[in-house]
Amino acid sequence: MARTPDDKRLELLQGTLDMLVLRTLQWGPQHGHGIGQAIASQSDDLLKVETGSLYPALHRLEKRGWLKSEWGISEANQKAKYYRMTAAGRAQLLREQDRWSLLVDAIGRIMNPARTVKE
Amino acid sequence: MRPDERDLDDEIRGHLAISVKDRIERGEDPEAARLAALREFGYVPALRESMRRVWYSRWFDAAAALGQDIRVAFRSLRRARGLAATVVVTLALGIGANAAIFSVVRGVLLRPLANRDEARLIYIRQSAPGIGARNLTFSVPEIADFKARVTTISAFGDFSTISFTMVGFGEPRIVQAGVVSGSFFDVMGLRPVLGRLLNSGDDGLNAAGAAVLTHRFWTNSLNSDPTVIGKKIDLGPRTATVVGVLEPSVPYPADTEIIANIVTSPHHLGATMITGRTHRMTELFGRLAHGATLEAARTELSAVHAAMVSEHPDAYSAKADMQLSARPLREQITAPARTILLLLLAASAVVFVIACSNVANLILARSVRREGELAVRAALGASRGALRRTLLAESLVLCGAGAVLGVLLARPLVAVVAGFAARFSVRALDVTVDASLLWVGAGLAMAAAVLLAYVPRLPSPHAPTGGGLVSAGVRITPGTNRRLRVFATTQIALSFVLLAGAGMLVATLVALQTASTGFDTRRVLALDVPAAVGDMSAKSIDFYQEATRRIGELPGVEGVAVGSFVPWRDAGSFGSGMPFIVEGYTPADGEENPLARIRIVSPDFFAVLGVPMVAGRTFTDADRRGNDNVVMVSQTLAQRLFPNGDALNRHLAWTDPMFGKIRHRIVGVVEDVDDENVVPGPVLTVYHPFAQMGVGGRVFVHTSGDPYALLPPVRRIIRELSPNQPVERAATLEDVRAQVLAPDRLNAFVMSGFAGVALLIAVVGVAGVLAFSVSARVREFGVRLAIGSPPHSLLMGVLSEGAVIAAIGIVAGAVSSYAFAGVATAYLASFHLPGVLPILGAAVVLAGAAVLASLMPAARASRVDVLQALRSE
Repeated sequence: MARTPDDKRLELLQGTLDMLVLRTLQWGPQHGHGIGQAIASQSDDLLKVETGSLYPALHRLEKRGWLKSEWGISEANQKAKYYRMTAAGRAQLLREQDRWSLLVDAIGRIMNPARTVKE
Repeated sequence: MRPDERDLDDEIRGHLAISVKDRIERGEDPEAARLAALREFGYVPALRESMRRVWYSRWFDAAAALGQDIRVAFRSLRRARGLAATVVVTLALGIGANAAIFSVVRGVLLRPLANRDEARLIYIRQSAPGIGARNLTFSVPEIADFKARVTTISAFGDFSTISFTMVGFGEPRIVQAGVVSGSFFDVMGLRPVLGRLLNSGDDGLNAAGAAVLTHRFWTNSLNSDPTVIGKKIDLGPRTATVVGVLEPSVPYPADTEIIANIVTSPHHLGATMITGRTHRMTELFGRLAHGATLEAARTELSAVHAAMVSEHPDAYSAKADMQLSARPLREQITAPARTILLLLLAASAVVFVIACSNVANLILARSVRREGELAVRAALGASRGALRRTLLAESLVLCGAGAVLGVLLARPLVAVVAGFAARFSVRALDVTVDASLLWVGAGLAMAAAVLLAYVPRLPSPHAPTGGGLVSAGVRITPGTNRRLRVFATTQIALSFVLLAGAGMLVATLVALQTASTGFDTRRVLALDVPAAVGDMSAKSIDFYQEATRRIGELPGVEGVAVGSFVPWRDAGSFGSGMPFIVEGYTPADGEENPLARIRIVSPDFFAVLGVPMVAGRTFTDADRRGNDNVVMVSQTLAQRLFPNGDALNRHLAWTDPMFGKIRHRIVGVVEDVDDENVVPGPVLTVYHPFAQMGVGGRVFVHTSGDPYALLPPVRRIIRELSPNQPVERAATLEDVRAQVLAPDRLNAFVMSGFAGVALLIAVVGVAGVLAFSVSARVREFGVRLAIGSPPHSLLMGVLSEGAVIAAIGIVAGAVSSYAFAGVATAYLASFHLPGVLPILGAAVVLAGAAVLASLMPAARASRVDVLQALRSE
C-alpha cells in the first residue's frame, strides 16, 4: 500500500468521524483496526484516523445505541471486538448524510458562487 | 453493554495484534513491526482512559474510590473498637433525641388538622386583661351581633360546655357535653363516621333532642358498637337520640363524650342565656369567607367588637378592657404544647452539638495518633483530596452507624416524647413514627460526618517532614491542642446552658411543691357527688345532709363536709369571680365593684379541710333557708374592704340579678386558701352556707387512716340513699395537687435528663482531652520529675488546665444562657429569666465535675515513671 506523505493528509472536520464510521460499517461488522484501515484506503490515504480519536468515538456510538459490539476472533488469531451498526445507527447515518450534503452545498455556494448560479 | 476494565485491555491488545500482523505480512521485521505498531497507537494509558471515560463519569470514579475508602475505614475502625463504640453511642444519643423530638414537633405543631380546609378555620376569643380573664367567652347576644355584621367570615360555629347526668350508657355518670347549634359541624368541617351530624334542622325550641358521640367515647367506652344509632339517652331532665358518631378529630375547646343540640339543655333555653349580654359561656369559631384573609377578618371583627362596646357600655366595663383576638384554630390548639416542644427541640439540638464536639475531640485525638500514617501517604503522593476522603470515609462509617442506632433509639423515644407532649396537646396522642425520622437522622449524620472530616489537620506538604515520618511517638501541635480545648470548652458551655435550664425548672417545681396550701392535703379525700344542675330542692339538701351524717359514723372518719369546689381540680370552672357590693364600702371614682369567688360549704367544711378561723363564727345547722342570710369571707377580703377590722355583721350582695339582690350578713372570717392556684396568692372568697344556697356536689372526708380505704363504704352509703347517684373522681387533696403539678414535674424531669446526658458527655470530653494531653507529654513530665519537680506540682498543673477549660466554658455558658433566655422571652410569653440559684448551682456542678474529670489524668501525670519516660524514644 502506497503511503501518502503526512503534509498531504487532511484533518477530519469536526463531527464527521461518526458519519464515516457508520458509513464504513454499512457493509458489515468490522473491528476498530479494520474501520481505520477502511477509512484510509477508501479515501486513498488522504484521511487518516488516529486511534486516539477512533476508539473513543466507537465507544461513544455504542453508548448511544448506534453500534453494537461482540467479541470475535480476528485474522491475527486474536480476540477482537467487532462493531455492527444497529437500526438506530442506520437512521442516524441517513440523517448525517443529509446534513453533510446540505453543508457541502452551502459551503460550495459561498466558495464558488459563479458555478452554483450556472447550475 | 458497559465494558469492564478487562474488555478495554482486550480490545487494545486485539488492535495491536492485527496491526503487527499486517506489518509482518508487508515484510517488516517482527521486532520492528511491534515497535512501529505501538508508536502508531500512541500512549496506551491515555487512550484507554478516554475510552473508559465514555462509560464511567468522574462521579462514578469518586464514589468508587470512596467505597474503597469506606472498606478500609471499616477495617481500621475494627482495630479501634473502643473509640468507635464511644463515637457511635454518643452520636446515636444526639441523633436519636433530635429525630424523636422532631417527629413529635412535626406531628403536633406542623401537621394539618383533620378538619376540611383547616387553614380557613379560625378561633375567636374575647378576653379581659383588665380583670385578668384570659378567656371570657361570648354571650348569645354578642354572637348574634357578629353574625349580623361580619362579612369576612362566612359562617360562625358556637360551642358551650355543660355537665349532664347521663343515663343510658352503663352506670349513671356525670358527663361533660358540648352544646352546639346546627352550624357548628359544618363550620368545623367535620364528617360523621356513622349516622349524621347535627344540622340546622336540629336548631330551635321544637326540635327533638339529638346527640353525636365523639369517636374516642364510641371506640373506648362503647367498643365501636354500630347499633348505637337511634338509642335514646337521658341527659339530666331531657332525653336525646344518638344520631351519629363524629370522625376522629382534635377535641376543642373541650374533650367531651357527646355533643348535643341546644334543646337538650334547659339552661340554654332560659332568658338569662338568650338575652343576657354578660352571660358569657360560649366559645366561637368561624370559617373565613372566600377570598378573605385572616388579617381582614381580624380588622373587621375588632371594628364590630368596638361598636358593640360603645353601644352597650354597661356590659363592657372600662376597667375590664375587653379585647378580641382571632387566630387559626391549629395555632390555638397547639399553643400550649408549642413552648415546651420548642424548648425540647432547642435542648436536643444543644445535646447534638455537644455530642458532635465530643466526637470531634475523639476523632481529633485519633488523627493525631495516625499523623505518621497520613504523613507517609502524603509523602508517597496521596493528594490532599485523597487524604481528606480517607477521613470522610471514616466519619461516614461512624456517623452512619450512629444514625442507624439513633433511629432505632428514636422509635421508642417518639412514644415517650409523645406521651409527654400529650399533657399539653391532645394531638400528640396520634403522633406516629414515619419516614421523616429517617430523613432527620440521615441529615444529621451527614452534617456530622462532613464536620468531623474537616476537623483534623492534614500534614502540610510545605512543612518540614518532621515527626510524622521519623518517629512513631505522639506529638500535639499547638493548633491541635487549641482545637481540642475549644471543643471541650464548647461542651462545658453548652452543658451549662442545659444545666441552668434544668435547674430553673427544678427550682420552679420545688417552689410549687413546697408552697403551703393552707389545706390539710394528706388526709382529706375529695369526691364528686354531683347533683342535677340547678336542683336546689329541700330533698336534695336532705340527701347530702343524710349522706354526711352516715359517712361521719364510719370508723376512721374524723369529719365530713359538703363543698362546691375541689381545690385545684375544679380550677377555672367558675370563671374569675362575681362582682358584689358591700355596705360601708364605696368604690373610688372609676373603680369597678370588687370580684369574689363564690363557694358553697357545709358547717364542718373549714374544720374538715383544716382552714383556721380568724374571727366570728362558722356556719351552723341553723343557717338554713328562711333564717337570716349569712356568709363567711376570706381574710384578704375582710382586710381589703374593711381596713378597720370591722367586717363582722356588715352586709354584702351580689350584683348579678341571678342572686335576687339578697343582702348577706358576714358572720365569720377564715384564713385565705387559694383553691384555684397551687401556689397561693391573696384571695377574695365568699362562702355561703350549703343549706341556704343549695347543693354543692363535692364531698370531703377527713380520715385518720388510709383515705382510699373508705371509698367502698362511702360509695355504698350514697347508693343506698339514691341508686342513680354518680360518685366519681375520688382522690386525696395531695394527689389532686400532684396531678396538677405533673406537667411541671415532667418538664423538670425531661430537662434534667437532657442536662444529665450533656453533663456526662462533657465530663467524658474534658477527661479525654486532659488524658490525651498527658499521654503526649509523658516525656516532658519525666524530664521535669528527673530534675526535681515535686509530683504534686505536676498534678496541680494538669488540674488547673481542667479548671481553666471549665472556667472559660462556664463564663461562655452563662453569657449564652442569658442570650438564649433573651431570645426565649421574646418568643415565648411564659418564659422567665432564670434566678441566681440555678445559675450558681449549674456552675458549681460543672466546676466540680470538671475537676473530678481532671483528677485521673492529673494523677497519671504525677506518677510518670521517670526512667521509662526518658527511654521512650
